[in-house]
Amino acid sequence: MKHQLKKIKLLLALPFLIILTGCWDQTGLDDQVFVIGIGMDKAEEKGKINITYLIANPEVGSSTQASANNEEAMMTVTIQASDFISMRNNANSVIAREISYDLLRVILVSEELAKEEEFIRYLYTSEKDREIKRNVHLVVTKEKAEEFFKKNSPKFLSRPHKFYENMIGRAIQVGIVPNSELHQFFRITEEDANAFLAIYATSDIEKEKNKYRISENDAVAGNVKIKGETNNSQFLGAAVFLEGKMIGKMTGVENRIVMLLNDTSDVSDILTVVPDPFDEDYQLTVRITKRQNTEVVMDVNSKPPRIHATLPLTIDVLTDPSMSNPVEDKEKIEEVKKSFERFLEEKAMKVVTKTQEEFKVEPFGWSLYARKEFKTLREYMDFDWMKTYPDMKIDVDINLRFGKFGKQPKTPSYEGIRD
Amino acid sequence: MFKLLKKISGRKKKGKSIQSNNTLDEQKNKRDQSISQNIDDNIDFIKSIYQFPDNRDVKFREFKVGGSNKRVAIIFISSITDVRTIEDSSIRPLLENKEPNLDIKGIISTQNVTIFPNMKDVVSNINTGNAVIFLEDDSNAYVFECANFQGRAVEKAENEVIIKGSKEALTEKVVVNLSLIRKRIKNEALMAESVTISERSQNEIYILYVRNLADDQLVDNIKNRLKNLDVDSIQNLALLEQYIEERRMSLFPSLLYSERPDRAAAFLEDGHVVLLMDNSPDALILPATFWSFFHTPEDHYLRFVFGNFARIIRIVAMFITIFISAIYVAVTSFHSEMIPADLLLAIAGSREKVPFPVFFEIILMEAAFELIREAGLRVPNPMGPTIGIVGALVLGQAAVEANIISPIVIIVVALSGLTSFTISDISLQFALRIIRFLFIAAAGIFGIFGMTALFVMGIFYLVSLKSFGVPFLAPMSPHYVSSGDTIFRRVITNENFRPGYLKPDDLKKKGDGATK
Amino acid sequence: MKQTEGKIGIREYTAIIMLSVGTKLTDDTPTVLFNSAKNSAWISLILIALLSIVPIWFLVKVFSVHQDKNLHDLNVYLFGKVLGHIISVGMLAFGFSALVLDSAIYVDIISSMYFTKTPSIAIYVVLVIVCGYGAKRGLQHIGSTAWLTLFYLKITLLFALAFAFYKGNTKLIFPLWGPGYWEIVKTAGSKMSIFADFYYLGIIAPMIDSFKSFKKGAFVAFAVVVPEILLALMIYVMLFDFTSIEVISYPFHEMILYISIGFLTNVETFFLPFWLVAAFVRFAFYFYLVLILFGAIFKIKEYEYLVPVISILVIFLGVFPKSAAFTIPGLREWMLTILSPMFFLLPCFMWLIAKVRGDFKNETSAQKN
Repeated sequence: MKHQLKKIKLLLALPFLIILTGCWDQTGLDDQVFVIGIGMDKAEEKGKINITYLIANPEVGSSTQASANNEEAMMTVTIQASDFISMRNNANSVIAREISYDLLRVILVSEELAKEEEFIRYLYTSEKDREIKRNVHLVVTKEKAEEFFKKNSPKFLSRPHKFYENMIGRAIQVGIVPNSELHQFFRITEEDANAFLAIYATSDIEKEKNKYRISENDAVAGNVKIKGETNNSQFLGAAVFLEGKMIGKMTGVENRIVMLLNDTSDVSDILTVVPDPFDEDYQLTVRITKRQNTEVVMDVNSKPPRIHATLPLTIDVLTDPSMSNPVEDKEKIEEVKKSFERFLEEKAMKVVTKTQEEFKVEPFGWSLYARKEFKTLREYMDFDWMKTYPDMKIDVDINLRFGKFGKQPKTPSYEGIRD
Repeated sequence: MFKLLKKISGRKKKGKSIQSNNTLDEQKNKRDQSISQNIDDNIDFIKSIYQFPDNRDVKFREFKVGGSNKRVAIIFISSITDVRTIEDSSIRPLLENKEPNLDIKGIISTQNVTIFPNMKDVVSNINTGNAVIFLEDDSNAYVFECANFQGRAVEKAENEVIIKGSKEALTEKVVVNLSLIRKRIKNEALMAESVTISERSQNEIYILYVRNLADDQLVDNIKNRLKNLDVDSIQNLALLEQYIEERRMSLFPSLLYSERPDRAAAFLEDGHVVLLMDNSPDALILPATFWSFFHTPEDHYLRFVFGNFARIIRIVAMFITIFISAIYVAVTSFHSEMIPADLLLAIAGSREKVPFPVFFEIILMEAAFELIREAGLRVPNPMGPTIGIVGALVLGQAAVEANIISPIVIIVVALSGLTSFTISDISLQFALRIIRFLFIAAAGIFGIFGMTALFVMGIFYLVSLKSFGVPFLAPMSPHYVSSGDTIFRRVITNENFRPGYLKPDDLKKKGDGATK
Repeated sequence: MKQTEGKIGIREYTAIIMLSVGTKLTDDTPTVLFNSAKNSAWISLILIALLSIVPIWFLVKVFSVHQDKNLHDLNVYLFGKVLGHIISVGMLAFGFSALVLDSAIYVDIISSMYFTKTPSIAIYVVLVIVCGYGAKRGLQHIGSTAWLTLFYLKITLLFALAFAFYKGNTKLIFPLWGPGYWEIVKTAGSKMSIFADFYYLGIIAPMIDSFKSFKKGAFVAFAVVVPEILLALMIYVMLFDFTSIEVISYPFHEMILYISIGFLTNVETFFLPFWLVAAFVRFAFYFYLVLILFGAIFKIKEYEYLVPVISILVIFLGVFPKSAAFTIPGLREWMLTILSPMFFLLPCFMWLIAKVRGDFKNETSAQKN
């Protein structure tokens, strides 16, 4: 009995152990600040970069109990450091608490730094840190990342993590930016066969009138004209990375085509305009959805290797500005279909030639299809997809099917109303 | 310093215990006598044993029988006898008797009259509420039953409340309890053997089992344990439980304590053994497994789907009560990345002005909750609800407003307290409440890792427990043939085995439905 | 109903194997395979599984005529006193080093992936205390614990794999033959000892309630574990591709770091406790095997008293290497390579000797009992 009592006393002493030991990995939430975004910019010194933190203020907008209403929702800090990890301590000279990457949502890189050879060295340090998750998005900004953080001030979503989450999530769904998780970046860079696409964004909107693009079709972030009191930053288009280095840009529309051709993307809601085959003054608004995966047939043995991609699409025609009522007439529908196919194929081919000629690397993920054609890794490596790609003969076929024609398929004829 | 104090106090205790031993032996020896022919000797002897004029409720009635003119003495304790019976069925017939030959057995009109030649039996019969008749020139004593102990009537069950099913609860009178159980099992195979377990108070215990279901070895084992007891007095089953269990320091109970006769009957029919006792409004059911503490009778009274739904709720509640506070500590101080961003910021924001670390905050609040619970239990009835409201609402609200506690902690602790009430068995409830603190401590030191380590150790411990040879988690592991009534129950017509771990004489339980 | 004191039923027995072999897909075993077989590691695994059936089958065969002997008794009986003891001691050495190396790897996983600032000795101490406690409680209780938790562990594992599959890309499996046929076969040959646990099962053979359970349990567990590891290997490739898979040291943990479930973006802490339970059960079992083998060889009846000694030894040896991240995986791979031919050949020899000695003539009568 007696030693049993001793055991109980020992047990009672256990909680005190916590007071003695309780540090190690234990960090109270109130002892941390949460970094939502990290910006990377070129620094003057070699081997160093300017790192900008976007830090959320947990006391704003999160709970009624927290009463710091006059504080800002976020703040930015820029410090020169050699990598993400050492930056954590460097920043403590101005930030009072431990820095946590738990809520990290985006890594922003200025276009200037992304085009450097050195860039990949800095980015790879993120793979070592366990708090930086592989589902963080990579965003390339036209200006310095530091500036972007400062200028970006969304009107409604004042809490930064919400803004980046929603902004990027929706933009990916719509297809105007690529899904640029770090995981994909590492995978594609290491595989060394494809191009990686990162989100392109800017808050540096063109001021001069002639720099605006006439059609939103050819726009990248920064040259769409938007009036009103909304946010002054734009997420549109993609930055093309080859072997961890940025080599070019794609417009939002080009990105959409890439996303449609690439099976790994999850673009799900594309609304766009197509010229009306019956009246060249007008354009039809259509919703494009992918029926199933792209069918890719390739012949790697022929010289030059050939790729034939068939893209099965369903198109809902949502407007009919020329009021020509194609629904009623089979021939008209055939005509519309043909013209759409021609139009889309042309567009797609344009993107393909651009990648072949300008980037000399493909972002469509076709190398994955090619893998099946080889028996061993060695054969595949010897083929050297990246080198061969620019010379390949590529066809893109659109296999089109009509879905709905809007809520009300028929429209009264224009002449009928106007007479 | 402390050792010295302990020594002194220890010595004192020893001295006392030796003294008290003598009196019991003395008392025993004194009783051990045969009855003498002389009625006066007998009366004087009884008077001296009961210290007559001081002991006020011992009554002596002396008179002469009408016909034979012999002296008669009737002795009983008035507070535990039915005086009316004594008057109507013994005193009056004796007085009015005109026969010259006196035949006590023929005169007294109670159910039975027993003859004892020994003072020892006479005294123990008087103690149990019977009346004794001494007769002039007779070395036998005549004892007839007229005991009437005071007690409650059968009332509603208060601790194990159910909505559907019988509402009766056991009472402090063992006869009533037996009647309640026999009402449910009308079978001559239901045995109710009695054993006297204590020397001084002569407490008697009833061992109930169904003869052709319960394993003989199990019954023998229990009887042996009860016979091996060497104690002065065991007032009730709650105390007996602690005398006969195997691991007295264990956190988990190994005997099921229930106030419901329907529950006792159900266990009897599965081959368990039930102990009953005077002064205990409960039955002790053994062997018990973890599942028997977790179940309520209502799980079976409700239809299959509803019963299982209740089980799901209860198992979830059990996990919440053990883990939620610990998880909160672990997650907020070790694994903050797993909290969704909005919640994380909300917690961080609300903790901004709280002066304590999370671990201490939780301990503080859990302790407060335990205080409220204990206080609410002990305060006199009319004040109970008030204490609850003052404790929970005012204390919680004020603590949040004073920035001592963050509001989320209140939610967490309230949830863990609330869910602990879903377990109706008080022993298991206590176990869970204590385990909760262990987990909080483990989470405070090592986060999820510490919790898992403790959990695995707990499982190792749990599976090694046994109650009268039955593994605590049987029939889940180790596996036995049974009706599979563990976390979930089966459709009632498929529950057609008695639990195999009891080695019942008849394993198969008939249970075919009316429709197939 | 047939439960007898100290013996375990088929459920508990199968659960133990499933956990102790099944958890291998969560440590660095996949990396060992990926190192040489690249994206075709899963083909190697199929080969390994096919090859492993041979020794397991022989082992079961030998035990069918010696149902009351454990592996050590059998070694002594078949190989003679001297050689038998040498083989048993060798097994003990390998078993013990497996316990040390594997536990060191698990500690490394915990301390590098989840508790980066906690000193690894603290983690080690907790791990060994829990496993030592389990080992002291005995096989029955380890078995019960394994069986009670098995269902939940496998379900969560399946969940994790399913979500990873959803995130991954099936085309990354190609080119099918990865580094070439020869490399695949070589990997299979040198790493087949990942199923050597089955050989060690012989130690507890007499503690299982019947020989039928021993045989059936081993094959059922084998049939579950092989597809499980196979699936995991394929999903790792689908998720990380052949390039990253070589540099990632613990693919399972990298995987649960990457996947997200609905609104929960970081779910690794959700999977961590389940993985830990499996790890604790596994090492409790290894610990127990070492204990009982030690007890059998040196004729120590009350081997429970060895628990503290072995615990301290394990911690000391596990923490000893200067940098666990480099030396331990190397040692482990080396051990796997050495153990492979032994795992394949020993049971064959045992069967052969038993055959020569004519033990199988009594087979029919033995099976009737």
